[in-house]
Amino acid sequence: ELQEQVLQFCLLAGTAGCFLIPSTAEDARDLDAYTLAKSYFDLKEYDRAAYFLRGCKSQKAYFLYMYSRYLSGEKKKDDETVDSLGPLEKGQVKNEALRELRVELSKKHKARELDGFGLYLYGVVLRKLDLVKEAIDVFVEAAHVLPLHWGAWLELCNLITDKEMLKFLSLPDTWMKEFFLAHIYTELQLIEEALQKYQSLIDAGFSKSTYIISQIAVAYHNIRDIDKALSIFNELRKQDPYRIENMDTFSNLLYVRSMKPELSYLAHNLCEIDKYRVETCCVIGNYYSLRSQHEKAALYFQRALKLNPRYLGAWTLMGHEYMEMKNTSAAIQAYRHAIEVNKRDYRAWYGLGQTYEILKMPFYCLYYYRRAHQLRPNDSRMLVALGECYEKLNQLVEAKKCYWRAYAVGDVEKMALVKLAKLHEQLNESEQAAQCYIKYIQDIYSCGEIVEHLEVSTAFRYLAQYYFKCKLWDEASACAQKCCAFNDTREEGKALLRQILQLRNQGETSSTDIPYVTPVCHSVCGSDRYFGFQ
Amino acid sequence: MCGSIFIASQLICKKPNRTGANSLPGVLRPPQANARIRARIKTPRFGPDMPLSRLLKAIEESCSHLASSVHIRLKLMAEGELKDMEQFFDDLSDSFTGTEPEVHKTSVVGLFLRHMILAYNKLSFSQVYKLYTALQQYFQNDEKKNGIDESDMELTNTEELEGKMEKEELDVPLREEEISCSGPLSQKQAEYFLSQQASLLKNDETKALTPASLQKELNNLLKFNPDFAEAHYLSYLNSLRVQDVFSSTHSLLHYFDRLILTGAESKSNGDEGYGRSLRYAALNLAALHCRFGHYQQAELALQEAIRIAQESNDHVCLQHCLSWLYILEQKIFDSCVLLEHSVNKSLHFGLPYLASLGIQSLVQQRAFAGKAANKLMDALKDSDLLHWKHSLSELIDISIAQKTAIWRLYGRSTMALQQAQTLLSMNSLEAVNVGVQQNNTESFAVVLCHLAELHAEQGYFAAASEILKHLKERFPPNSQHAQLWMLFDQKIQFERAMNDGRYHIADSLVAGITALNSIEGIYRKAIVLKAQNQMSEAHKLLQKLLIHCQKIKNTEMVISVLLSIAELYWRSSCHTIALPVLLQALALSREYSLQYLASETVLNLAFSQLILGIPEQALNILHTAIEPVLAHGAVLDKGCAMFLVAKCQVASAASYAPQKKIEALESAILNLNEAKTYFAKVDSKEQLRDVLYFQARLFHALGKTHERNKCAMLFRQLHQELPAHGVPLINAFK
Repeated sequence: ELQEQVLQFCLLAGTAGCFLIPSTAEDARDLDAYTLAKSYFDLKEYDRAAYFLRGCKSQKAYFLYMYSRYLSGEKKKDDETVDSLGPLEKGQVKNEALRELRVELSKKHKARELDGFGLYLYGVVLRKLDLVKEAIDVFVEAAHVLPLHWGAWLELCNLITDKEMLKFLSLPDTWMKEFFLAHIYTELQLIEEALQKYQSLIDAGFSKSTYIISQIAVAYHNIRDIDKALSIFNELRKQDPYRIENMDTFSNLLYVRSMKPELSYLAHNLCEIDKYRVETCCVIGNYYSLRSQHEKAALYFQRALKLNPRYLGAWTLMGHEYMEMKNTSAAIQAYRHAIEVNKRDYRAWYGLGQTYEILKMPFYCLYYYRRAHQLRPNDSRMLVALGECYEKLNQLVEAKKCYWRAYAVGDVEKMALVKLAKLHEQLNESEQAAQCYIKYIQDIYSCGEIVEHLEVSTAFRYLAQYYFKCKLWDEASACAQKCCAFNDTREEGKALLRQILQLRNQGETSSTDIPYVTPVCHSVCGSDRYFGFQ
Repeated sequence: MCGSIFIASQLICKKPNRTGANSLPGVLRPPQANARIRARIKTPRFGPDMPLSRLLKAIEESCSHLASSVHIRLKLMAEGELKDMEQFFDDLSDSFTGTEPEVHKTSVVGLFLRHMILAYNKLSFSQVYKLYTALQQYFQNDEKKNGIDESDMELTNTEELEGKMEKEELDVPLREEEISCSGPLSQKQAEYFLSQQASLLKNDETKALTPASLQKELNNLLKFNPDFAEAHYLSYLNSLRVQDVFSSTHSLLHYFDRLILTGAESKSNGDEGYGRSLRYAALNLAALHCRFGHYQQAELALQEAIRIAQESNDHVCLQHCLSWLYILEQKIFDSCVLLEHSVNKSLHFGLPYLASLGIQSLVQQRAFAGKAANKLMDALKDSDLLHWKHSLSELIDISIAQKTAIWRLYGRSTMALQQAQTLLSMNSLEAVNVGVQQNNTESFAVVLCHLAELHAEQGYFAAASEILKHLKERFPPNSQHAQLWMLFDQKIQFERAMNDGRYHIADSLVAGITALNSIEGIYRKAIVLKAQNQMSEAHKLLQKLLIHCQKIKNTEMVISVLLSIAELYWRSSCHTIALPVLLQALALSREYSLQYLASETVLNLAFSQLILGIPEQALNILHTAIEPVLAHGAVLDKGCAMFLVAKCQVASAASYAPQKKIEALESAILNLNEAKTYFAKVDSKEQLRDVLYFQARLFHALGKTHERNKCAMLFRQLHQELPAHGVPLINAFK
């Protein structure tokens, strides 16, 4: 809302600038009244502005007249909420001017007397009255009449909920449409398409636009390409050091990477620029959260919500903080609020699921994880969470499916395979278990990270024993040697090595009279090539 | 709007005293008028605000001159200035002072007035102003409405009228939203609305709002007041009505998410309230899945509820879980142990509702298992005592319905009829409290269905269809218990079609019956096949059904199937094979004390004996069976029984001395007359024809030509009406 108004304000200031040179005779006649009203408008005396514009005939004066009335209604509505007659009336306060505005604007609209700005205002009024379908039509019309008015596009963006709706819109063919499409693709989580659009816009000459850069960074953030997003944000900070917009996203990234000094610097910096901005509060909240001062973090998120109650991210983040503080009921409340603001917030659904999981209600939380999964079908975290729940409910078939799917969509935390392997182990499906461990080790080493992974040793231990059982001595001893590299499996590894040696010697002497047991699984025989490159 | 209603009510409370004191010194208001006004005012305060004209009318009904003074007072305030309203409130507080106060401080009116004055004093200036404008608007809206009515003729102000028209035209698309947004309800009003709708849903669904409009109201309520958790629960109940799994789950979980918050806030000892709602959340989820038939899911949820309840030692919750566990297990296998345990424990923890529910389930199960009837009735009587003690009217209803069903099972239709009538003519206990009769509970559906079938059996088809029509109104087709009457309706239609020999119609009904109850459906299919003389198919089907029913221990059906198989045998003239089957059926029905089925088996047995040439023996055993059949049987069965008796008499008379033979034949004729009246009742022409033929032969044998000719003529008439396949006569008993 705030952003929209700011944008709108800039636009108006712009038009006022050109207006000093009146383009039509009507404009010239209204010039005095208009400039007077504009000054009042800038001073936020909307009723006064509207009063002096009442007789004006020109298009621009008419828009300012109507817009002042609209904003005056909004302002009164906000004031009203403060001293309503009781808590029950909260949410019942309406912008009284809306209906009158709608009647007048629709009359003009029928007579085709509205210009681009007028159409935009009409659309806004319709949206406020929850007449979504009509509003979309009017915004599309506004975009046709005045394609360079970003406000209309933005409003349109908020009203479109899925790709299908987007397909059926007939949009004007201008370069603004490209911006719009890129923006809405980001909103609808169609990140690939969005990045493509932005790239082509950069190629077309917008390479210096900080807006585009920030949008690209956000897009990378959405697909969890953290490094790329971080580097772009750093670049953006260099080009536009006093920018506050999108910095909450940046702080999220820093948080995920636990980059304390950078986050601290960012928080200080933003606090200097403007401490009463939602983004600033969010960054500070993140900062405190990273320092494990969760009460303070929650406080800052609350402040952000006071500044803008519809700021979705803060509700979810507050939920996370309450979770950290083990205040489950407050966490549930926060997440529910987040869902109320936006039903498609998968993090809130996921958070609710986690809360109930902590409360040891695995069946109950299934529903929430499922909702989260529906919203992000290709996110492995939800799938792993679902799998864990099924495992707790002893529904191993479903659990296996979940883990497998999590692996298939690209596992972020690399835990799905281990869990799958353990499940197979439980079900005595040693062959599949071994396969999973092999894949897991392959995965860990192929991404080149030498992060201390707890489960690697477990994997090697299992494999060593598995090969040992299959009497594949070479593979078994290779794995056992790997085991020796880890503290917790060292002794076992050594013992196994000794056993292998012993049995090997025995086998060489008496291989003729002991019937050789065929290994269960041939596909893993050449497995040492997996470990060869290390 | 709320403010204005308060003002109005204040005025009313205020007015009588004022008028009484000042303008009408001698006339004091009768106290009962005051009470009446108060009672009337209560309603609008709980419901949404009513327009002024309606309010005035309501006042006028109880006290005519009060209404006009209220109107004048309001007009003065609304058309005057803010100061008028302030003056009103100032005056209001004066009424408590003085040596003889107009209103006593602690009276109901006094408390209300003081409450209002306090609320008014707390308002800031802008709020006072808002209250005043709200009052003005409230008044003017009414005036305007009256004005429109009057100014229809008056066309002086055409311009304004035009403007109004235009505005209204444009408003048309807005209308609908406007209506749905009409409800800025206060907390109390919303709570009243919710509790009213919920109790209607429970007791009399047809009177509640339709699912769509109720949902709309709820959405509206939630829009204004998103923290109103109860609305989510009602929305869950509402979604259950339309069998919407998805949104009902959503609403249920949302409700508990909200409840958890309030629970945590309100309880000082934090964890208690909060953990409690968690347990019940899981339990409710189990109930939901059970309702939709997801038994596996339900079990998982239930396990969770049990685990949490065990961890926090909540025995009450555990008892609820146990009862649910029984319900779930019942779907898989019968488990008396669980139930007995549950009853014992619930009694121990003082949960009478659960305990007697358990007893009732236990009785039902034992009844199917063929336990002694007197013990069951004793148990029901004991639990009834409990119900009356705790005034659990719902359970009393269930108990009576259960008795009806048990009597029906035992084949005592008279007793069943009596019980059914008892329930229907009994005034529910809740009627006293809420003013809503419990109307759409399952017990009512069960009783009404039995009643319909009992009437149909006695040949009162019109009455039966009347009852079914009533059921249809009370339990609309998509409601929870509608399947019950659907099944009974089709069963009755089926029986009629079979009696009339319209087998194709009966066959078409089979599909419907199968959809509602597969076992019943297969049985009916076999009967149709049998009637269409497709013996081998029928036999195959019946054998399969027999094995299945034996497995699931549905004894009633087993006996019915055995009887049908026996009939198949004697139709194929294999009476010797039919005998052991019949004896088996007889043994079973005696063991489970299913008396009516037993006597029916005896009839079959007697018939077989008659054909096998031992009519004396047949007559002997008929004497044991004829009494219950005549007392409790369906009309058709009564007719068949009497017909059979006559046949046996004739057959056994063959060896008698001539004088005795004549006596026997004459008594047979009398019996046939009785059979004839029974058959006439159900309009079973085929049987009537057979009886007439038989009677004609008997008259012929007795030499009564006149009577013989009469019967023969009647026979001829019927014979021409009916399709002319060979008259089987003695070869059929049914």
